[in-house]
Amino acid sequence: MSLTAQKITDSRAPGARSHGTIAKERFVLMAGPTQPRPANQHLRRNPPIAGEQEAIDRAREGDGRAFETLYAMHKRRVYSLCLRMLGNVAEAEDLTQEAFLQLYRKIGTFRGDSAFSTWLHRLAVNVVLMHLRRKGLPQVSLEETLEPSQDDGPRKDIGARDLTLSGSIDRVTLERAIENLPPGYRLVFVLHDVEGYEHNEIAEMLDCSIGNSKSQLHKARMKLRDLLRTGQRKEQIA
Amino acid sequence: MIVMRAMDKTMTCAEFQDALPELFESQSDLSGHDHLKTCENCAALVRDLNYIASQARLLLPIHDPSPAVWDHIQQAIRQDKPEPPAPAARK
Repeated sequence: MSLTAQKITDSRAPGARSHGTIAKERFVLMAGPTQPRPANQHLRRNPPIAGEQEAIDRAREGDGRAFETLYAMHKRRVYSLCLRMLGNVAEAEDLTQEAFLQLYRKIGTFRGDSAFSTWLHRLAVNVVLMHLRRKGLPQVSLEETLEPSQDDGPRKDIGARDLTLSGSIDRVTLERAIENLPPGYRLVFVLHDVEGYEHNEIAEMLDCSIGNSKSQLHKARMKLRDLLRTGQRKEQIA
Repeated sequence: MIVMRAMDKTMTCAEFQDALPELFESQSDLSGHDHLKTCENCAALVRDLNYIASQARLLLPIHDPSPAVWDHIQQAIRQDKPEPPAPAARK
């Protein structure tokens, strides 16, 4: 018997979050010196969680309570990943559900070669990518973003000194700018700069070359710079 | 290396920006690049791109799925559970 994931798109509970909600949360990010990517990026993002191993062991034996514990531990990270990759609340919730259902089916195959959270997040990334491929939309067509419009590419003649990004880009502004990236750019940016995957891992996931992944990332950052500077100009005019 | 340094000094902005994706991957600190010593615009560009990357790394997962997600997971799991075995027939 196979699991059947019931779609929840139209049955959102009252109080479910929308992107509008986060506008109220203003966390100003501190500008600091640029740090090189640490070698243990995944460990930093996926630190061991107290009680996780016991919950894994019990969930593998079919303990529903233990599975619920694992859901509570990881739901925020998995959902945020889905939301940032997709830019859509309803789809992100559907795929969070699908990711945890796959976890339920596959937890017996987790061998502990990597941190459980690393394994689960990779599973969630694959669920999102499979979804995008099934939709057949250009989200996963790297060609689309390898040859972007003129506006998206690097500007060869920046011209006179203009606004530079100050040290006061807040989280909400950055999240919104990421949402507004073209889907192909967003995928690579989220996977690399937010989630900490390396280019070789992204190339494998997206079935593209490492060079393509680097190129996509650079174009994504350039586009984000444009979006953020445009926002700053509008704020200054207002 | 000497050849590279000589090239750096004669790089145009377009050449420097074309090389940026690889430069970012190969060097964590571009501030010493010769082109940036004489080009404030490209220096500002590099500062901005570094800033964006550093801020992205600080983005933490803050969104929670609605309670309906867990409800539907539970429902699907319940449907998946095999039926309890029927009691053995009396002999």
